[in-house]
Amino acid sequence: MTGNELDRAFGALSDPTRRAILARLAEGDAGVMDVAAPFPMSQPAITKHLNVLEEAGLISRHRQARQRLCHLEPVRLKQLSDWVGSYREFWEESFERLDELLEELQGTKETSTRNTTGGTT
Amino acid sequence: MTTTDTPTEIITPPGEPVIHIRRFFKAPPELVFRAITEPEYLRRWYGPRHLEITVCEADLRVGGTWRLVHRAPDGTEFAFHGEFLELEPPRKRVGTWSWDGAPDAVATETMLCEPVEGGTMVVSTMVHNTVEARDMHVANGMEAGIIDSHGRLDELLVAEQAT
Repeated sequence: MTGNELDRAFGALSDPTRRAILARLAEGDAGVMDVAAPFPMSQPAITKHLNVLEEAGLISRHRQARQRLCHLEPVRLKQLSDWVGSYREFWEESFERLDELLEELQGTKETSTRNTTGGTT
Repeated sequence: MTTTDTPTEIITPPGEPVIHIRRFFKAPPELVFRAITEPEYLRRWYGPRHLEITVCEADLRVGGTWRLVHRAPDGTEFAFHGEFLELEPPRKRVGTWSWDGAPDAVATETMLCEPVEGGTMVVSTMVHNTVEARDMHVANGMEAGIIDSHGRLDELLVAEQAT
């Protein structure tokens, strides 16, 4: 995922209406009318939001009979959660190492006070 | 290797240029503060094991600067630098943070070491100037992490993000 795609995807997610649309589509494909129904805004306004989501790769649209259906693209969402997940991995591993270091430092300094570590000093 | 069940909380709110990290450590704030601030300690834990730290230096005073360079096994280097704005051991440290690859994107990090029962809660809040810069920061962490095995990622995602 390039920085540009990431920007677009996060930009798209930074709006409550668009997040609500994604939540709606997570239940199944829907036409624009159905998507728009719960929101107090015009259909063109909803269409704009859908365009943003589509450009971000979070949804796709396809024709079925006479309707254009919106479809959630879970791959992009997975990529976004991977994005945070790997960052987490960076910190998880760092912090595990810091745990080890702190244990080592306390071991040498206070000759093992494992049961009552912490306290006031 | 020690195994811990201490969860790391990472929050990247959509639409806000902020990263929050919280983690408990089983050591008093005095020691934790030193371990996360002084270069000779920092170079022993900061970053995944496969990344070598080639430079880690800090002028530990307000207005002093720090610099850190990670090198991946393929030779790729990730260099970071910043300046200390507040140094109040053992509780609080505020400083700037930038990646050399995007020196204009300067983030401000506030690090607190709060004494809690049995140890210290470290709370870091990193504020970038734009959401894009924040996202790029996380993406850099991703690059560093991704070079390593990706095996545990899915487990982590399931365990940590099912909220």
